[in-house]
Amino acid sequence: MMTTVTVGLGSCGIAAGANKTYEKIKALKEQENLPFELQKTSCIGMCYREPLVEITDDTGTYIYGDVTADRAVEVIEKHINQHDPIRDYIVYTDLFEAAENDFIQAQVKIVLRNCGYMDPESIADYEERNGYTAMKTIVMNKLSREEVIKTILDSGLRGRGGGGFPTGMKWKFANTNKSEQKYVICNADEGDPGAFMDRSVLEGDPHSILEGMIIAAYAIEATGGVIYCRAEYPLAIKRLNIALRQAHEKGYLGKDIFGIKGWDFDIYIKEGAGAFVCGEETALIASIEGERGMPRKRPPFPAASGLWKKPTNINNVETYANVPWIILNGAAAYAKYGTEKSKGTKVFALAGKIKRSGLVEVPMGMTIKDVIFKLGGGIKNNKRFKAVQLGGPSGGCIPEYLSDTIVDYDSVNATGAIMGSGGMVVMDETTCMVDVAKFFLDFTRKESCGKCTFCRMGTMRMLEILERITNGKGREGDIEKLEELAYQIKDNSLCGLGQTAPNPVLTTIRYFRDEYEAHIGHKKCPAKVCRPLLTYTVDEEKCTGCMVCLKNCPAKAITGERKKPHLINQDLCTKCGVCFTKCKFDSIILT
Amino acid sequence: MSDNSLNIILNGTIVKGYPGETILELARRNGIVIPTLCNDDRLEPFTSCYVCVVEVEGMRGHQPACSTKLAEGMKIITDNEGIRKSRKMALELMLSNHYADCLGPCKQTCPAGVDVQGYISLIEKGMYTDAVALIKETNPLPAICGRVCVRPCERECRRNFLDEGAPVGIDYLKRYASDHDLESPDKFVPAVKKSTGKKIAVIGAGPGGLSVGHFMQIEGHQVDIYEAAPKSGGWLRYGIPEYRLPNDILDKEVKNITDLGVNIFYNKKFGENLSYKEIRSKYDALVLTIGSQKGTGVGCTGDDAGNVYSGIDFLKNMEVTGQRYDFKGKTIAVVGGGNTAMDCCRTSIRCNAHKVYVIYRRTEKEMPANPIEIHESKLEGVEYMFLTLPKTINKNEKGDVESITCIKMELGEPDASGRRRPVPVEGSDFDLGVDYVLAAIGQKTDVNFIDDINTNAEGGALKINKWGDLDADKNTLQTGIPSVFAAGDGVTGPATIIEAIAQARIASVSAHQFVMGLPIRPAAKPFTSKRDNFKKQLAQDYLDKFEKQIREEMPTLPAEGRMNFSEVELGYKGADVAHHESQRCLECGCTAFFNCDLQKYSSEYNARQNYFEGEFREYQADFRHPYIEIDNNKCILCARCVRICREVVGANALGLINRGFDTYVAPAMGEALQDTHCESCGMCISTCPTGAITENVIFKPGPVKTKAVESICTYCSVGCAISLQTVNGFTFGVTGRKGLVNADGNICRYAKFGYNYLNDTSRITAPMLRVNGKFETINFEKAFGIIKEKISEVNPNDNAFFGGARLSNEEMYLIHKLARLAVKTNNVGSFHYLGRGESYRKNCEYNVPFSEIKDASLICFIGTEINRDHAVAGFMAQNAHFVKKIPQVMVTVKENNSLSHKVNQEIKIKSYYHFIKAMNHFILSKGLENGLFLRDRVEGFEEYKKQLLALDFHDLLKEAGIGADELGNFAKTYNNEMNAVILFSEKEISGAASKELFNLAMITGKLGKTASGLVAVREKNNSQGLFDMGVSPHYGIGGQELADAGYIARLKDKWKTELLATDETKCLHGIVQDGQVKNMFIFGEDPVGCAIDRSYVDSLFKPVEFLVVQDYFMTETASMADLVLPASLPAETGGSYTNAQKVIQQFQAEMKPKPGLTNLRQIAGLLAAFGHKVSSNPIDTFMEVVTLFPENNGNEKLRLCITLKDNHHRKYRYGCDAVMKRFEEEFERKITKP
Repeated sequence: MMTTVTVGLGSCGIAAGANKTYEKIKALKEQENLPFELQKTSCIGMCYREPLVEITDDTGTYIYGDVTADRAVEVIEKHINQHDPIRDYIVYTDLFEAAENDFIQAQVKIVLRNCGYMDPESIADYEERNGYTAMKTIVMNKLSREEVIKTILDSGLRGRGGGGFPTGMKWKFANTNKSEQKYVICNADEGDPGAFMDRSVLEGDPHSILEGMIIAAYAIEATGGVIYCRAEYPLAIKRLNIALRQAHEKGYLGKDIFGIKGWDFDIYIKEGAGAFVCGEETALIASIEGERGMPRKRPPFPAASGLWKKPTNINNVETYANVPWIILNGAAAYAKYGTEKSKGTKVFALAGKIKRSGLVEVPMGMTIKDVIFKLGGGIKNNKRFKAVQLGGPSGGCIPEYLSDTIVDYDSVNATGAIMGSGGMVVMDETTCMVDVAKFFLDFTRKESCGKCTFCRMGTMRMLEILERITNGKGREGDIEKLEELAYQIKDNSLCGLGQTAPNPVLTTIRYFRDEYEAHIGHKKCPAKVCRPLLTYTVDEEKCTGCMVCLKNCPAKAITGERKKPHLINQDLCTKCGVCFTKCKFDSIILT
Repeated sequence: MSDNSLNIILNGTIVKGYPGETILELARRNGIVIPTLCNDDRLEPFTSCYVCVVEVEGMRGHQPACSTKLAEGMKIITDNEGIRKSRKMALELMLSNHYADCLGPCKQTCPAGVDVQGYISLIEKGMYTDAVALIKETNPLPAICGRVCVRPCERECRRNFLDEGAPVGIDYLKRYASDHDLESPDKFVPAVKKSTGKKIAVIGAGPGGLSVGHFMQIEGHQVDIYEAAPKSGGWLRYGIPEYRLPNDILDKEVKNITDLGVNIFYNKKFGENLSYKEIRSKYDALVLTIGSQKGTGVGCTGDDAGNVYSGIDFLKNMEVTGQRYDFKGKTIAVVGGGNTAMDCCRTSIRCNAHKVYVIYRRTEKEMPANPIEIHESKLEGVEYMFLTLPKTINKNEKGDVESITCIKMELGEPDASGRRRPVPVEGSDFDLGVDYVLAAIGQKTDVNFIDDINTNAEGGALKINKWGDLDADKNTLQTGIPSVFAAGDGVTGPATIIEAIAQARIASVSAHQFVMGLPIRPAAKPFTSKRDNFKKQLAQDYLDKFEKQIREEMPTLPAEGRMNFSEVELGYKGADVAHHESQRCLECGCTAFFNCDLQKYSSEYNARQNYFEGEFREYQADFRHPYIEIDNNKCILCARCVRICREVVGANALGLINRGFDTYVAPAMGEALQDTHCESCGMCISTCPTGAITENVIFKPGPVKTKAVESICTYCSVGCAISLQTVNGFTFGVTGRKGLVNADGNICRYAKFGYNYLNDTSRITAPMLRVNGKFETINFEKAFGIIKEKISEVNPNDNAFFGGARLSNEEMYLIHKLARLAVKTNNVGSFHYLGRGESYRKNCEYNVPFSEIKDASLICFIGTEINRDHAVAGFMAQNAHFVKKIPQVMVTVKENNSLSHKVNQEIKIKSYYHFIKAMNHFILSKGLENGLFLRDRVEGFEEYKKQLLALDFHDLLKEAGIGADELGNFAKTYNNEMNAVILFSEKEISGAASKELFNLAMITGKLGKTASGLVAVREKNNSQGLFDMGVSPHYGIGGQELADAGYIARLKDKWKTELLATDETKCLHGIVQDGQVKNMFIFGEDPVGCAIDRSYVDSLFKPVEFLVVQDYFMTETASMADLVLPASLPAETGGSYTNAQKVIQQFQAEMKPKPGLTNLRQIAGLLAAFGHKVSSNPIDTFMEVVTLFPENNGNEKLRLCITLKDNHHRKYRYGCDAVMKRFEEEFERKITKP
């Protein structure tokens, strides 16, 4: 067989220099007329080892990690020319123990089934991997709308955007509401900081989303489709456009699609302008309609009155990506994975203080600890695992002692966090939980659309309290005021943004109240993050009087003579920490 | 209905709800109040304020009542602790970013809470008596306070921040208004409530006691004041010298109070010749306003010397004895630095003292005296010895004072009062030779009646506090004896007059509650938003934001002329000065104060403004639009303005900018509002629940509490119900009222902003006769005589009468009666319709009611810019377009059309008449007509069809300026719609074109069906009345032909006459054009001013020998008249208007007619001059009209009408009405001003 060399060209790969790697390999191949086929693919999930290059030859498949353009020369020379794979650089192969084998092997890939395994810009590649077969099966077997919906219902698939509402139910409602016009919308407005699974699918397997939407359109008799994709995903939009063109050419979109007379269905892309709240379905619909992206009261739900007040089914990217697989493999095959109430797999974006940051797809029911340690490789720099933020700014912190919690909707909710779209931000002992809460609240505060009083004003006031706490100006009663505001905001907001915005604060207060108290009562940040609460002093025993710290102090807060212990003037100290990093004798004490 | 009704449990009670209904609607229907700020019934639910939250069983969190729809079995709780907590927090969160003042610092600072900003606004308008009425709500002694108040208000006045450095002359203005009122024959007399039978005793007739008298007496109680001195006023008379407060002013204000029924008994010393025992037996309550009467000595050795007096005794003695001291050649030392010291030193000067020293131990800066007093005393020659303390008073051999040994002081550390404590400088002693020493150091309360009261009290005891003053509850001023209350200096120790008055009011409220058996509660403190809660207000916040305006200073007696007790301050010289000074008010308080929902709910929920501290946004108010101002500081982001502008007006002129905390409302693209699609309708103002969007008025807006005068708009023919917000005849603004036509209470810019003419002081208020080219005022009798004489001199048909389309039905009717009955001519009509009216006669027949526009499936505008000219009907179309997505098509000849941006499709043509004819041609030639409708309902079809189809279609298209395809498509679309409605206006559509429109509606079978057919609007409020009231040479009441003998017979019978105008009727237009009219009478029209072709109109007037014009102002037509009659306003007259859809709406006369006689009385007067006695009462007149209406003929068939050519003969703009013209011109001028 022909040897193939495939370069991962997802956003993560490109960011790590994969374009250069690709160009280099292409140049080498052309210069020396090398005997391999050069291909492109997208993210395989191992973002922490990008750029990734996969070589498949007679002997098997090898994935090389960290293949910069320079290293590419070495890899091509050794592997292609000398048939001598460089074991040290190989991160995954099934031929021998490689560094990241367990990362791949422990996963179950349904959503990401094609990502990293094919050229996302090729409909042929997709079809080769059973693409559009699901829809064709429906046509061939003359499955009724109700049968399709029943399959989705039976699979137990729940909305992967965060809400976890049974997808089949949504479809059923949209199908029941009769109208001459109906719509399917794909919510590709992925906005949680630290979440990028949707982007990965959009970039790596756009056709699976189109197919999922076409199946949904079939099931509810939709007459139009919209993908609402954030404009910050240019590569995703580009590949979606290519996929749409290809699907048109194939007759999968447009008039009389899949050979069904009178079935006209088309999909348009609407680029979102970067407002987080537009991920909320009613705000998203308002935005498509050309209005200011602000949510409105539900009911009516979009299934009854959505886009242009017509029945509308709206699912997110990951949900649609599951659909063709379920149709092809059957509800039972899907329901085999997961727990009683949460079926199938879930993609997580691992980020923060974790060794392997990237995408993983795991069956529901795996413990958080396993995701972090088995797949994520544990905590960076061997620090102590402290907590994980699940569900982005709408979610909450789950502390280390609850890390046996399994990933399913209900178990996660019980901790006060939410599954959300699957962002997992891992924190270690050097993370200040008040600071984390402040970070997420600052995000939601900025992203509040400004409509509801509680969300608009309340998040601002909460943030101000958190700011004063981390600035050492916290007062007695601040925790209670935060809680009072938090519960009021949750109870009195129109959309998910407001209803969940206080979650990071509430969960950190719930699990790390002592840290809040330390900030307020003792004016100390236990994780040593909040600058105004830090004190740098000199350990007189250890100080050699080398004057390095004195010379480097930008605030001229350090005094002392050569060979005598120095002194830090606390009134002048700006807590920049330069002395701490510059001291070679560990004589600066940070408290 | 019962089939689909829902069972709901609302607060534990089972009630019926309906599908689609919201919780808020259900609650309202059941009389349960749920607060809301973002909801407006006119708009789709939005849900942002979260003040309307309720609990619904089974639903997470709270549910907003405004947008939660009912569902079967819902269990709703609308009020509990949790709900109240959330509502309160919502308010507090909003308030934490509400950088605004509810009240100006003047009112906030005034101890008595006198509404300074309000009365300044009234003074600005010359409404002095109303200003006094407002002041007297809280302060019954304005003329006194206008002279001697210490003016804490002026200290806080923000004018101080500006570069002229002086506050508004608040006190001077108050004095000006109250002096004016005191002298006025119609001075303010408060209403006294019905007697309660309760009796109140008051001890002391000082400012406190007098105020109690005022406040309690008007509540219906009998107040008796007992005064120890022989005269009233207390300290006002015995302490304040006459050069500051003349006794006659005091006497007049006291008389105002005794005139209410208050008795004052003099020479009654409580505890001496008046025992509490007696009081207790006679009265239901007692209020002690005893003052603080006892003077204190100098407090140094030797202060028992002769000629050493306490200052107050010195002042009092003079008043009691009526004798002035003779200080000729004497040297006087006044010790102290307060206002009493000022009174003593300035009085001493007036007693001819040789030298007067004021000895004060601190510096001038620390002096508590009013700076003006210090200034004036220096002018008068008083010498100051600051930082000086008397140590010993040295006596001569007679024991009288000879000199004072003083010691110099220097200022040390600040003491408890914040003033720096003076400390003696060792060895700085010196002697000052003096003849008299007046100690103005302080006063004490004299409580020698305490034993008497406590001996005789039953239950409780009056106590004295540690300062020696009366002990009373500080909130209610009730003493230890439940029926005894105390107020003023006797409670507080020596303080100010205004504080005594403030306390008197509190004590009065409490005493009132006590005698009425009510729980004694201090008045609830309403929520008040303050900018100072966010940051201390500084000069930089105000500098450069206002024009500089130098204060009108108080004119005073020249210093050399002051050796007497004449009043030094002379008062403002005239109304102009007061007006000018009133203009300096910066209007710090919110103009929406009396109707702000945020303030109302914040008070109700005890919301605190600074519960949440933190960032707040400060915005510059946007005054760019001439009528609408936007102050984002007050905005709570309910988006009602944004939504009403979009959902109802369709202008989309306002939007929300930014996100989250940084969100604010601004005109689209940051432009000035008038540069957007803004229609200046003021609907945003009408919906704003706070004062964030308000009217930008040309006068001081107050705010003041207004009286709503209900009326009907006098601009266009939609017929909106309005309320004039008035105070004593001055209109402060106009609001919409839920009416028969404008059921939502919507009004447009004409009604909203076109009211300034009502306040114009250049109104004509009396008949005026031209004598030698100049107008002279004459009386009505003479005017009527002249008119009768002129009419008698010519043939009846040499006279012509014109009634304007703005007049009421009753006015029109009497004008037509005057012509036909008294003058015996049928020459009666209107310039408005002159030469074109007959083809419009049927325009209102079979109209689709405005309220059905929303049920249309297609809305077509032919020509009309309905959004501007008949905006409220336009709102109905626009709202239907927004809510139900009903498509709109505009057909227009205009290049730029203000409606274009709102419609789905615009068809540009050249001629409406030909366009419509081409439509009809197309439909008939294609055989698309509604045969069934034509067969059953319409006559003349074949004839019409034959005539029309004889025309060349392409010629019609060419004339219409439209292509065959475009016309065909539109014709088919229109024809195919079940519920197509065409709206058009007489302003653009000629009589012939309107007839063809009716033909179109008939051949397509759309006429006279629900939500289908035509809506014709006329230019003026009562254009229709002209047709109905017989203001026509050919037609009588209800369009009955004068040729109809039956009608004439009825008329003769009704009018009890055998002789009417001859049956012959001529074309009035022709008569006027031919110069046959010798005497012309024009009521409420301005054909000259409104002429489109001025030279043509001038030519009409040339042959006229005697011209009479009745109008409000000297219009261009009136200024040509020989005799001008003053017109009364609708709200002065009463009557009815008939709108474009024949809705007759009546309104009452609620204001006094400025001209003395209403229009109806004037016309009736003229009729009387001819010997016809008629009623001038609008109701009687209307009833007479009703009896003359034609009988309904029932199922008359419709008739297609052949027109041969277009007849666009509009000769006058503005519906020939000077008021309309005036506003449109003002509007254009202001809106286009660079």
